[in-house]
Parts: sequence; C-alpha cells; structure tokens
Amino acid sequence: MKRKIAAVLLSTMMVIGMTAGCGSKEEGGTSGEEQYTIGISQFAEHGSLDNCREGFIQGLKEEGLEEGKNLKIEYKNAAADQSTAKQITDSFVSNKADLICGIATPAAQAAYNSAMNAGIPVIYTAVTDPKLAKLAKDDGTPVGEVTGTSDELPIKEQLELIRRMLPDAKKVGILYTTSEVNSISAIETYEELAGDYNLEIVTKGISQTADISLATDELLGEVDCLTNLTDNTVVNSLATILNKANEKKIPVFGSEIEQVKLGCIAAEGLDYIELGKQTGKMAAQVLKGEKKASEMKYETISEPGLYINTKAAENLGVAVDEALKGEAVEVFAEISK
Amino acid sequence: MSIWISILEQGLIYGILALGVYITYKILDFPDLTVDGSFPLGAAVTATMIVKGVNPYLTIPVSFLVGALAGVCTGLIHVKCKVRDLLSGIIMMTALWTINLRLAGTANVPIFGEKSIFDNETMDGIFSGNFAQYKVLIIVFVIAVISKILLDLYMKTKSGFLLRAVGDNENLVTSLAKDQGNVKILGLAIANGLVALAGCIFCQEQRVFEISSGTGAIVIGLASVIIGTSLFRNLTFLKATTAVLIGSVIYKACVAAALKFCEPQDMKLITAVLFLIILIIGMERKKKVKKNA
Repeated sequence: MKRKIAAVLLSTMMVIGMTAGCGSKEEGGTSGEEQYTIGISQFAEHGSLDNCREGFIQGLKEEGLEEGKNLKIEYKNAAADQSTAKQITDSFVSNKADLICGIATPAAQAAYNSAMNAGIPVIYTAVTDPKLAKLAKDDGTPVGEVTGTSDELPIKEQLELIRRMLPDAKKVGILYTTSEVNSISAIETYEELAGDYNLEIVTKGISQTADISLATDELLGEVDCLTNLTDNTVVNSLATILNKANEKKIPVFGSEIEQVKLGCIAAEGLDYIELGKQTGKMAAQVLKGEKKASEMKYETISEPGLYINTKAAENLGVAVDEALKGEAVEVFAEISK
Repeated sequence: MSIWISILEQGLIYGILALGVYITYKILDFPDLTVDGSFPLGAAVTATMIVKGVNPYLTIPVSFLVGALAGVCTGLIHVKCKVRDLLSGIIMMTALWTINLRLAGTANVPIFGEKSIFDNETMDGIFSGNFAQYKVLIIVFVIAVISKILLDLYMKTKSGFLLRAVGDNENLVTSLAKDQGNVKILGLAIANGLVALAGCIFCQEQRVFEISSGTGAIVIGLASVIIGTSLFRNLTFLKATTAVLIGSVIYKACVAAALKFCEPQDMKLITAVLFLIILIIGMERKKKVKKNA
C-alpha cells in the first residue's frame, strides 16, 4: 500500500512540476523594453559546438540583446540523442519561445520539425550542408522560417596550405566516420580539388570511436600527412591520432582553431566563436523584426583564418616561413594539454 | 503545443518498440540486441520509400516485414548456427548498421515537405483548425493501440500459446511435437517487426532518418518493459501489453522531467535516478520478507 501511495505521490509531483513549468512564461519585462525568450538546443557536448553557443550569445549581445536584461535564454543539450533533441525543441515550442537556435545538424532538423507549424523562427549553426539537410533549397534560400550559418570547410585554402608547408607531400590521409553526412560531403570536395594541387586523397572510414586506433595505424602507413575534417567522432579522439602521428613523424593538419591548440601543425579553418557571433547577429535581426528568417539566405563564415602551431611544426621538423606566419590570424608556440 | 502531447507521442512510438522488446525479453526470455539495428532499419526503409514518392501508408507493412526479416536472421543465427542468444543479436545489430547505411544511401535523410502518414491531404482534411495539434498524437495512438490489440489477439491463438511456452519450458514444446527453434524464430520475427514499425513511425514523426537513432533503443525498450510490468503488476485488469505502453510513456516523462529540472550535463544521471525510484516503488515485497525471515 505504501508503495502505491509513493507512486501516486511521485507522479503527482511530476505532473505539478511540469504543468507549473509550462505556465511560467516570463513575467519579466518590467521596463518598457521588449522581452525576448529564446531556446538553444545543442546536439551534443563538444568543444566546437560549445564555442558556437558562446559566440551566438555574444553576437546577440553585440546587437543589444543581453541575457538577463531583455533576453531570456533557455539552454538544453540532447546528449547526442535524436529523440531527446525533438523533446527539447517541443518544450521550447510549448513554452512559446520567440526563437529557437539549433546547434549541429540533427538539433537543427529537430528544431525546424517542432517549430514549422508553430510559426516560431529557427536559426541554426554548425550545419555543414544545409541543402543536404533540407533546411535550404538548392539556391540557398530557406525552406521556411529557418536560416543560419554553415560550418563548411575552406577546403581549397586548406589544400593550398598543405602544398605550401609540405612541398614534397603526395598523399593526404583523411579519417572519417561513415555515419556523418558532413564528412562525406567534405571528402567529395577534397577529392574533386586535390588533383589541382598534385595531391592524392586516401580515406579510411570508421563507424565508432573504438575503431580509431586501428584505422589510424593503417592510414599512417600509407600517407605523407593527415588532414582533419570536423568529424565529431574523429575530433573527439584527436589526442590518440596526434600521438600515433607524432611517433611516425607525420604532420596532422586541423580544421579549426581548437585542434591547432591541441597540436595539429596548422589549419586554414573556422573559428566557431566567430561563426556563432555571425549567427547571433542573424538571430537578432529576426528577433527585432528587421527581417524574416525566410528572407535570409544561409551564410558561411566570411573569411577563413590561418592558425599555426610552431611548436608542433618544430617537433616534426616542418619549416614554417615568416611570410606564412605573417598571414596567420594566430600563431601558437605551445601545445596545450 | 503542450509538452504533454510531445511526451505521449514519443512514449507511444517507443511503446510499439517496447511491445517488441516485451516479446523477446519477457515472453521468450531472449536478450535480443537486434533492436538497435532493426529500429533504424524501419526508419531507413521508410525514408527511402518516402523520398521515392511511394504511398506513405505502404511504409507501415513494408517496415514491419523488413524488420521481421531481420528478426528471422537473428533467429536463424541462434537456432541453426547454434550461436548464443546475446551474440546472435550483436551480430545482427552490427550487420544492420551497414545495411541501414546502404539502404538509405547516407546517414541522414531528411523528409521535410514530403508526404508522410501524418502529412497528407486526407489527414490535413480530418484534422483542421484547433484539432491539428493533436493530429500526430491521435495517429500514433491509433497505431499503437492497433498493434497492441493484434498482439493480444495473437497471444490467444495456438501459435501464441506455443510462443509463451517456449519461454517458460522448452521441453513442453518439444513434447507437443513442435520444433521450439521455429517458434523462437517466429517470436523474434514478430518482435523485430514491431520494433521496425516503431522506427517507421519515428522517422515520419521526426521527419528525418538518422543512422544513430537506433543507438540505445534497446535500453529504452527494456526500461519501458520493466517500468510497465513492475509498476502495474498488481493491477490485474491491466494487460501486460498495456502496461508496457504506459511504461514507455513514463520513461519519456522521466526524460522530460530531467530535461526540465536540471542542468544539461546532469540529464542522464537524473533520468537514471528517476528510473531507479520507479523500480524500487514497483519492487515485489516478497523478497524483503524472505530476507527478514
């Protein structure tokens, strides 16, 4: 009997809690200023994605929308589960958020799916190919009230960089996860462009973190250098890959600033904080009613930045000329742990 | 849209999956890990068919059949090749990863704007105005209830009784001059058919096929079955299948509650704690008495 009472109590508690939560739409807005509520749904815990979120909030702030003042931000993380991502954005919709931000492709898709019939605009970031994800039409215009920024890699610039730093290199290795659509579309571009730089692309596909070690060993035997994509599984195991590559004196190129800090020798890549800021500014325009999301094409980062890690280059005996250093946005002289 | 609608939708979709897990785990006593592969299998088949423009209602029987086929494979590996039950599931689950990837072409197939069982003229005609927000829930509810009733009816047939007998006492089945291996294969087929059916509905509700959607599906299924059957064990008027469906909704409610009340990083732990509380509440008193005696 006690047990049943406890069960009833627990469920009642949950019911009350959730109903109360639903009703608590902001009572703020005491100052005459407009109050906005936005929901951020991030697909997984991940350095680059965290940077996107930080940048997004900064971008909003630069446009005069500051958390705690005239902006309420609700942040949730789906822990890499697609159905949780949908539950998160459904809850944003039921709380009548003014805008939903989806970080990474599955979160962006879930956000648009939840919001499409509720008329809530969706802004996404860190979606590599919005066309492939069916969030944008072939001409780059949105499919509905949904727009944002793409973290498409500057592959041409990256190949140029590899050619410049390693004049003798012939084969470039890429490790990727077969289940990540972003990686597959990036590899297609790499293979298309590599010939122009007299390089050959060698790829190894893995399906889970456990395969990384073996695949890296195999790949390192065949190539002159490695280059990274923004592949989540691979990037999360970057330390393992760098370790093995350093033992064999094979340089690894990164795809964004964080990877260079960790010991990739260089990257012509993205700064996710900047990408987030750009996204935040787009969101601000939509919130203020200056533009509708459906009127804005998705954007890519305006200028890729060059990042170099001189310590990593020195360890591998790769010369970095001063001219290159001069072009770099940031040069790191240490490998961060 | 209220958060409750979302919980019920998700709960009932995973409830269909839980019905499948109920057959293997509770009735056949077979820890079937094929589920992690057959759930996205249903989704992959559905997404491929919908992109090709096939009538969305056809995806339901086709997913069920394809899932059943996966179940038959697991069964054959176990019964004919004499591989241990747990391992046959793992083998099939691993193989299905590639099959799903090949079937769908890529790891992520969005079906926004395509016709689905939820979005088509007929359904938009039936559910209009204020009623529209309940559209998905009602359709999911109808499918879940039909699946449950069909399963209940099947359990009362001769073949259904044999299925239950295999889990309880294999020798009994043999003594009835029936091949228990075939009965197991049949059970696995029905179970994985239901799981793939859940994948089919899930894909259309999410409007996207994502290869990783199956990861952890077995955990959700098992949790739902155990929550359902242990929480409602004393309510004899409630059929086990109904209890399983409710269990799945409770599981999703736990996730929603964890999402609502905690920091994003703590979500899994809170879900686990809520799950544990429910299990303790539902625990049988008998064991305690035995210990004290």
